[in-house]
Amino acid sequence: MPALVHKTLRDYRRSVIGWLIGISAFLSLYLSIYPSIRNNPEFYQQAALSKYPGPLKDLMGGLADIASGTGYLQTVVYQLLVPLLLIMFAMTLGTRAIAVPEEEGTLELTMTLPIDRRRLVLERWAAFALSLLAVALVTMVLVLALAAVGGLKVPAGNIVAAHAGLFLIALFFGTLALGLGAATGKRALALAVGGGYAVGGYVIETLGKSVDAISWLRWVSPFHYYLDGRPVFQGWPVGDYLVLLGATAVLAMTAMLAFERRDVGV
Amino acid sequence: MTAVVEAEGLTKFYGRRKGLEDLTLQIQPGEVFGYLGPNGAGKTTTIRLLLDVIRPTSGRATVLGADTRDTAVRARIGYLPGELALEGRDRAHDFLNFMADVRGGVSRGRIDELAERLDADLSIRMGQLSKGNKQKVGLIQAFMHEPELLILDEPTSGLDPLVQQEFLTMVREVRTAGRTVLMSSHVLAEVQNVADRVGIVRGGRLVAVEDVAALRERAVRHVEFHFDAPVPTEAFEGLPGVRDVVVTGASLRCTIDGRPDALIKAAAKFTVVHMVSSEPDLEEIFLTYYSEEAPRARVGA
Ligand SMILES: Nc1ncnc2c1ncn2[C@@H]1O[C@H](COP(=O)(O)OP(=O)(O)O)[C@@H](O)[C@H]1O
Ligand SMILES: [Mg+2]
Repeated sequence: MPALVHKTLRDYRRSVIGWLIGISAFLSLYLSIYPSIRNNPEFYQQAALSKYPGPLKDLMGGLADIASGTGYLQTVVYQLLVPLLLIMFAMTLGTRAIAVPEEEGTLELTMTLPIDRRRLVLERWAAFALSLLAVALVTMVLVLALAAVGGLKVPAGNIVAAHAGLFLIALFFGTLALGLGAATGKRALALAVGGGYAVGGYVIETLGKSVDAISWLRWVSPFHYYLDGRPVFQGWPVGDYLVLLGATAVLAMTAMLAFERRDVGV
Repeated sequence: MTAVVEAEGLTKFYGRRKGLEDLTLQIQPGEVFGYLGPNGAGKTTTIRLLLDVIRPTSGRATVLGADTRDTAVRARIGYLPGELALEGRDRAHDFLNFMADVRGGVSRGRIDELAERLDADLSIRMGQLSKGNKQKVGLIQAFMHEPELLILDEPTSGLDPLVQQEFLTMVREVRTAGRTVLMSSHVLAEVQNVADRVGIVRGGRLVAVEDVAALRERAVRHVEFHFDAPVPTEAFEGLPGVRDVVVTGASLRCTIDGRPDALIKAAAKFTVVHMVSSEPDLEEIFLTYYSEEAPRARVGA
């Protein structure tokens, strides 16, 4: 492993462990209460629908069939909250690639190592992607285990497919934050723009299903390629995932080129 | 002999703000070059341009014969940033090992040897290093791979006097080994004892390049004579190289440029009880460059 990737992974380790604990706690908490919902499906379905009326229901992904294992897993894990957490984690790491060390002033020494700028971005990206992959894999194993224990009756293959999507959407937004940081050197800007796109993209995709005025915008939302294929229900939406992966590759390449061109630390 | 650092018309504007303008300079192998100027003169700008951290608005520079964009050449450079930032939970020796890994060429035990010489504690986490320790870690990473060129931006800031002496010894060793040093400072005193040549920048322009040995010969020196009886002022007036003559009773104060010969011979006509001669003060020469009417004609060398 290149020394810079190794060193960067070491720098990220604490953050990785912290987020892993947080997300795992969330998953354990929500998935462990499923048995009580399964035993009382009508009540919980009604409760969910009355708690989130109208457009809120759309924002929560429709809340269809929430008392079934599949519907519950989609609503509680894969619809909103876990993607949100994982995207926040990814964006935090993404800015730590270039923008944070640049603002701290520590990037200057790294840049005077015999590593060219593109490789510097690429190796920092690789360390970010590996860290994210580690969190995705561990949480996937956890979901598989909790789903089996809690009797959710979701095919393991669909959980793997949904979790792959989770990894890809977080990879996309983390790479976006990394790229914005590499292009501008500004952490706050990278987080604001990346976060704004994430929130806007989510709203457009979920509300766009029933609001015609914005439905044509859905294709620019990364969440379209994450949610539309409904992997928990239907398995791998290969085409959609390839779009996310392709967009991520374009962002990573743009990040390398943008960083190549500019002054650092001014 | 190809220059180790060569800049030609090197210019950097930050937006409309001038950082450095039209720098043309050559630094030869084996020399210690002092780069002097007040704060905001353009020293850090020059150094960052040489390391390709920032890009020139116009002009060009080569370092060790290669374009500044050539990444491979950086393994042969040791760099100490002017605003050194070291953060994180890594311990200093882990960080240094990482730098050594990437650059290569660090012999076994070299890091510990330097740490001992500078009295640096490498077991401390990077984010918790004191200012002085930080600077020491910065110096160790700059010197450890025995680079052909050392670029040090205000290296002595934050070091206590004892460590400063050790640092200067290290710089002299580098020169003895035939390697090259570019070090910046805003005080001449820090570089005059190690530098072979000094360049002076002010307001983004190189206003002079001087040979330190030649400068020392030319430098003004304050001299005092005390005699056993009052002396006549006329006896010391009009002597070559003697200025600012003040006689009060039995003592004489004056400044001399260059050789003290004429003054000594004139004083020998009387009975000298006591004599004081200060070290040549290069600072005075530099103050004239720092002031507004710096003579442009002296650019060159
Ligand atoms: N990032 C920057 N943005 C705008 N102006 C800058 C920047 N860095 C330096 N300058 C300006 O360039 C000039 C030279 O600065 P610098 O090279 O840091 O001087 P020195 O290192 O000699 O103190 C100063 O006028 C400074 O204000
Ligand atoms: Mg400076």
